[in-house]
Amino acid sequence: MKRGLQSKIIQLAGLGVTIAYTAFIVWLYATEPRTFKELTNSAEVAAGTYEINQEKFNSGLNLFRREQFRAARVEWQQADPAQRDARTQFYVAYSFYREGWGRLYFDQELFKQGVEAVNRAITLSSGTTLTIDDPDLQMHTAAELKAELEQGLERSWSDVNPLKALRTRK
Amino acid sequence: MALLGGLRIGAESGAFIFIAPPLVTLLLATLLMLLLVRGGLVRLHQWVGSDFPPLTNVAHIWIFITIFFASAQAFNSVLPERGLLHWMFSFFFLWTLWNNQFSSFDARRLLRSLTILFGTAFVLKHMLLASLYSPEGSWLKRVAGTLVQGVALGTFDAPPFAAVTGYIAFFTLALYVAGLILFAFAVNGETTMVVDQQLSAAEGPRALQD
Repeated sequence: MKRGLQSKIIQLAGLGVTIAYTAFIVWLYATEPRTFKELTNSAEVAAGTYEINQEKFNSGLNLFRREQFRAARVEWQQADPAQRDARTQFYVAYSFYREGWGRLYFDQELFKQGVEAVNRAITLSSGTTLTIDDPDLQMHTAAELKAELEQGLERSWSDVNPLKALRTRK
Repeated sequence: MALLGGLRIGAESGAFIFIAPPLVTLLLATLLMLLLVRGGLVRLHQWVGSDFPPLTNVAHIWIFITIFFASAQAFNSVLPERGLLHWMFSFFFLWTLWNNQFSSFDARRLLRSLTILFGTAFVLKHMLLASLYSPEGSWLKRVAGTLVQGVALGTFDAPPFAAVTGYIAFFTLALYVAGLILFAFAVNGETTMVVDQQLSAAEGPRALQD
């Protein structure tokens, strides 16, 4: 009787361990971490303990305000290596917008990357409207930023309107 | 085993590259499972049945699924990742496994055959081909270059991986074959026990008659 119970416990424990290990393998192949650092980041995200590096984020924000957009993105990349923070991704998208904005034309490549970043921000904000209260910005929601970036990617006859040179960057 | 079968290490960046098992490896694993059943290494009729408690049945089915995916990853570790070589290797594996379906096998012969099959594929992919496509260049590259002068080597294109990938593949295959050997011992042990029990059950009444 005792032996039967023991064998049942061993079977159950074995099943539990192998199922957990299978889930780990599937998760690993789905997230495809490239380094041990990425692996720990992904694990933190999965466990819900992921936090951005606030110091790096603030440093990126300072650079952003000084219009050093590429340097700002480098800092934000280090602040949010797993790209899991909606606010940081919003700022990354905004930096692409500001860097790509031109009085006569928009840099299509930068705007495309901006759309990707703002889409990440929208996905991460999970249903709620992402609003950033920053007086230095003229667009405070991810939806506004996305619309502006997408408009910049569209081609139309209004692009040749000379009055467009009078438009202002947001 | 299932974890390491699809793991490669990038040559330049040293980054992990996880390659999910391609569809053809699932087909190869299915053929291999049929062989394992035919060779008596996996005895489904002794594993699953209405006589066993549900938990035992679930545990045995789970072992079966685990062997299936371990086999798929074993093939994944020795198959070239893309190009003509991927299909050539797949074809030779299919050919061998299909032929084996019609040969007479026991567990020991099957294990020997599988060890040779995976060993050959390992040597071809991780030693010969890796040497052929190594960025530094090798004697094999020079020989191949001379032999196939004029033929587009792009057809045989293979992504460069770090040397450690070969070590990982070797460890993976060693683990897989060792697992199968242990499994064969376990199956034989069970068979011996069953046979012993049957013999003692048969001898019991005879002893009483004597």
